[in-house]
Amino acid sequence: MIRSSALSLALGYVALGITALVLFAAPLWYAWQVTIQDGRSEILQADAQRLADIYRRDGGDGLKNFIDTRVNMQIAGDRILLLTDTSRKPLAGNLPDWPRNLPTTPGNYRINVDMGGHGGEETLVHVALLGNYYLLVGRDNKLFAPLERRFWYGLTAAIAALSIAGLLVGLITRRALMTRVDSIRRTVSAIMHGDLKHRLPTHLSDDELNTLARTINGMLEQIEVLVHGVRNVSNSIAHDLRTPLAELRSRLEELALMRPPAESVFAEIDGAVADVDRVIRIFDALLRLAEIDAGLRRSGFVPLDLAELAETAVEFYAPAAELKEIELTFHADGPLPVAGDPILLAQALSNLIDNALKFAPEHGAIDVTVRRRADAAAEIAVADNGPGIGDAEKAKVVERFYRGDASRGTPGVGLGLSLVQAVAKLHGSALELSDRHPGLCVVLVLPASDMNAAPDSVAAGTGSASAAPRPAAPAAATAPTS
Amino acid sequence: MKILLVEDNERVSQFVVKGLQEAGHTTDHAANGREGMFLGASEPYDVIIMDRMLPGDIDGLAIIEVLRKAGKRTPILILSALSDVDDRIRGLRSGGDDYLTKPFAFGELLARLDALHRRSQGVNHEVPLSVGNLHMDPMTRKVTRGDRQIVLQPREFKLLEYLMRHADQVVTRTMLLENVWDYHFDPQTNVVDVHISKLRQKIDAEFDRPLLRTVRNAGYMVTAGDP
Repeated sequence: MIRSSALSLALGYVALGITALVLFAAPLWYAWQVTIQDGRSEILQADAQRLADIYRRDGGDGLKNFIDTRVNMQIAGDRILLLTDTSRKPLAGNLPDWPRNLPTTPGNYRINVDMGGHGGEETLVHVALLGNYYLLVGRDNKLFAPLERRFWYGLTAAIAALSIAGLLVGLITRRALMTRVDSIRRTVSAIMHGDLKHRLPTHLSDDELNTLARTINGMLEQIEVLVHGVRNVSNSIAHDLRTPLAELRSRLEELALMRPPAESVFAEIDGAVADVDRVIRIFDALLRLAEIDAGLRRSGFVPLDLAELAETAVEFYAPAAELKEIELTFHADGPLPVAGDPILLAQALSNLIDNALKFAPEHGAIDVTVRRRADAAAEIAVADNGPGIGDAEKAKVVERFYRGDASRGTPGVGLGLSLVQAVAKLHGSALELSDRHPGLCVVLVLPASDMNAAPDSVAAGTGSASAAPRPAAPAAATAPTS
Repeated sequence: MKILLVEDNERVSQFVVKGLQEAGHTTDHAANGREGMFLGASEPYDVIIMDRMLPGDIDGLAIIEVLRKAGKRTPILILSALSDVDDRIRGLRSGGDDYLTKPFAFGELLARLDALHRRSQGVNHEVPLSVGNLHMDPMTRKVTRGDRQIVLQPREFKLLEYLMRHADQVVTRTMLLENVWDYHFDPQTNVVDVHISKLRQKIDAEFDRPLLRTVRNAGYMVTAGDP
């Protein structure tokens, strides 16, 4: 209960309120006390002055008579009057005796007087010497006591009300908060137990919890998609590896059973090695995808010329295009410096051209264009005039192991575009697929970054950190095995 | 060639030692890092094959660093199951000369060992190359076969140059991809074969004796020898 954040917040506010109240009341109290005391001292002095005047005019007996009259008429009320002789023996007034502890030196005093029902605590008295008489003029505080009491009662009541209200508000807030936090907790624990379909309840309002709930729901959405994707990929891996493994197995089993002549054994072994190579190729492609997805390759970013990279790729595929009598053309406006991973960009581009070659018809045409867009982003577009991809399939072709209808009967495992997509993502962009009627245009955009915008500073900044192995001479070699 | 194989996996070692023997090489085998370091430092080898992950406290990269610090310039090929680009870079930075990931084709290993060995003999980029009656002058970029001049595209020239520098050796498709195109990935298609057949058209088509040969299950070889 103490650890509830809503409650401690409310209690904090209560404490703050009380402090403010006290800070407000204290100076008020002080000012009040001072004012009253000063006022009363003046009144007492004025009283004493008047009695002194009477003494001067009428003498001691006149004063005694005057006091007697006043006491008898009970005008005094809360007033205390006492006239004594120099031995402090009472002569007139409503006090039976000269209070003990009260000196006879003239001045103002604060004493406790409790005699004959007059006086009380904290009574202010004024002492004066008139000839051979001591005069005591006082006024007790009874008159102000109820006011003071009311002040204190009021303050206490205000503090109490504030505390109770704060506690109540705290409890209610806590309850409301607990209800919502509890529903979040229940949903999350349901998700932890494996049911990813659950979502947090949200309301229309835009309060903090709702915003949080919506963000968490977004995250859950993403997690569900990812988990779904992983599940799909694992299924696909299992399936795609099963096929070559099954072939391999039956090949070997047949060899063991049939014991054919040596000549055909070797042919079978070659086939078996090819089967294994297929499995390895799938693994390699998956590992590379995982490596890219993990973002590890960003360390391999160096300044490079996109136009040169694309031209090399086009030139690399030119003989293959020639063989299929496909016209492979390349367009660039000159060097296009960007920052990127040269190995991955080359591979992505190679996958795109390879795909285009697969799907372009005989005597078809493929065009590779590299250009700087108006927004300073660099763009590589690979367009073919093949069958294209239907809208329904566009989102699917970049999924791992997805193979479109058009790719039935062509070699490949369905990871080509996934890799291009992953490379695009690593470079901070996405893959754009569009129709050319007929044909498909795949655009890879490298958004303008600081590095891309100012290639000169890049050359100085990252040139030495060029992590990707780029052998300049034919001698050096760093090899991905196939 | 005299080769040192540092590899702890018995099956892989057996397979490599036997294969190298059949290819006419003498091979010493060290099954752990300590022995590998000792042999590598004391015996003169032409090439060392170093597994990256070895049992015990010394790993392959550490041995390479020690050998290099001791002044040994023997070319070293790193063999590893780690295929990440970062691992590869680390391997090459530690002083390795080439990197091959497991599993590998034996032909690939053999071809790379040959290339490493030849490289360590020193390459002179200015000396004209000849294989049979095929001549190439890297300085003037002129190629002739017999008395006929052959016109090559720049990339074709680079391809032929690499093959001729490794004449009488098998050159794999991966090696060509890496060294001619600077492609460190597998394009999954037979594009290299198409380039080779185009090159073959230019240098072999009208001659009786073909110089550019396909080596089954391995790669290509430029040789003037008998097929």
